[in-house]
Amino acid sequence: MFILSTARILRFAFQSFLRNIWLSVVTITIIVLTVLSLTVLILINVVADQAVTSIKDRIDISLYFEAGSNSDQVKLVEDQIWKMQHVKNVDYVSADKALEMFAETHRDNELIQDALNEIGENPLGPVLIIKADSIDNYPLILQSIKDFKIDELAKEIDYDDHEIIINRIELVSQKIRQFSLILSIVFTIISLLVVFNTIRIGIYVHRDEIGIMKLVGASNWFIRGPFLVESILYAIFGCLIFWIVFYLLIGFINPMVAGFFAEIDFSIIDYLTSNFLFIFGFEILVIIVLNIISSLLAMNRHLKV
Amino acid sequence: MIQFQNISKKYHPDVQALKGVNLNIKPGEFVSLVGQSGTGKTTLVKLLIADERPDTGKVIVGGWDITNIKNRHVPTLRRQIGVVFQDYKLLPQKTVAENVAFALQVAGKKGKDIDKILQQVLKIVGLEDKNKRFPLQLSGGEQQRVSIARALVHRPKILVADEPTGNLDSINTRDVMDLLQKINEFGTTILLVTHNREVVNALRRRVVTIDNGEIIGDHQHGKYIL
Repeated sequence: MFILSTARILRFAFQSFLRNIWLSVVTITIIVLTVLSLTVLILINVVADQAVTSIKDRIDISLYFEAGSNSDQVKLVEDQIWKMQHVKNVDYVSADKALEMFAETHRDNELIQDALNEIGENPLGPVLIIKADSIDNYPLILQSIKDFKIDELAKEIDYDDHEIIINRIELVSQKIRQFSLILSIVFTIISLLVVFNTIRIGIYVHRDEIGIMKLVGASNWFIRGPFLVESILYAIFGCLIFWIVFYLLIGFINPMVAGFFAEIDFSIIDYLTSNFLFIFGFEILVIIVLNIISSLLAMNRHLKV
Repeated sequence: MIQFQNISKKYHPDVQALKGVNLNIKPGEFVSLVGQSGTGKTTLVKLLIADERPDTGKVIVGGWDITNIKNRHVPTLRRQIGVVFQDYKLLPQKTVAENVAFALQVAGKKGKDIDKILQQVLKIVGLEDKNKRFPLQLSGGEQQRVSIARALVHRPKILVADEPTGNLDSINTRDVMDLLQKINEFGTTILLVTHNREVVNALRRRVVTIDNGEIIGDHQHGKYIL
């Protein structure tokens, strides 16, 4: 009896889905647009986060030593810094490597190239590049460097310039987070309301049929069943159609967008591919739950016939 | 078979639909319930299929007191009473066969049994060759016959027809009335709700007249007297 009823409910749902094809198309279109706005919101959040992280990653403390400094002495300093709290990484750049990098950075600047040739010997000393485990801990590391009088051994500490930038980044990233949170909430509410009302209108269109089904002796669950299954079908088709179209579209525009994200080392396709199951699962779950709730609420009203 | 005992029903404090109605219908009877619009005829039908509950009194169907029937038992009751409405109440997205079969599917009947019953009832109403059509592809008379076929699938002991000829021309009206009489001859109790004078007078069966929520006439071989 249960299997028979379930099979009939499924058949009625597919039948209604196909026989009311325009209603199905309209509902699925609304769901596609909702999933689009949810996905764009997710991507905006990820890109903003990635951009801030990428900029934060470039922050470091550089200790420049005099040209001709003893490399053993620099190594000792490096060991000392490794022992400090909150230090994530210390890179030793030899004087030769520093010169090589400097020449590479300014390879198009003839004046600098000529000056380097004129000097003949390496004017640069070794450099220690220190990374903290968190952007907030740079001042602590800097304080430790001063406490151990390491700064007296170095020619220059390149950090003060970053301090202002870090503060600005922190401020901007905080603002971005707040803005995207508000945007996410507003867009999500709008999208969910649109889907909610679309499903309700769909049920409203069938209100007379619901009444007739009751009059011929159908139980409430036998009536609800096909509508619930149909609303799940809308969610599945909506999400599938969106993702197929979106992937095709992204594949097409990715080369154009790639340049935009080059600076922050971010690829939409890579991100979507590695997080596809999570995002798709989240979206389809949200839409299915929403459709079921909308259907149940809308139908309860008409089932009191 | 059907007993209304001292039934009263108010929709609003000012609108008294039924006042102390007493009516007893025996098995196999063909009863016409007549009266002007808004006199309480449809309220009696609604009480019979538990679409409404009385304020006072008792409704008994086939020995079952349905006065305060629980919502979960309503589908069972409705599967035992065939109901035909003026506006046919067919599911527009289902074919003739699907509409009729639906009444059996909700009761959990098996596919084979459904096919067998379907053939029989469609033959009775003369629509076996139109079983794949949708309601909108049929005439009013044909739609009403589908509605009667659907009401018959459970072989109900009672068939309630609420203004079944209200939307039909005279030829279709005669067809539908012939069909109802044929069904009655098989032993089904028929309660016909109508305000069609010619139909009632042609039947020459029991006529119960209701006016302003009260029964004002009950005659075994009656006529439309209002």
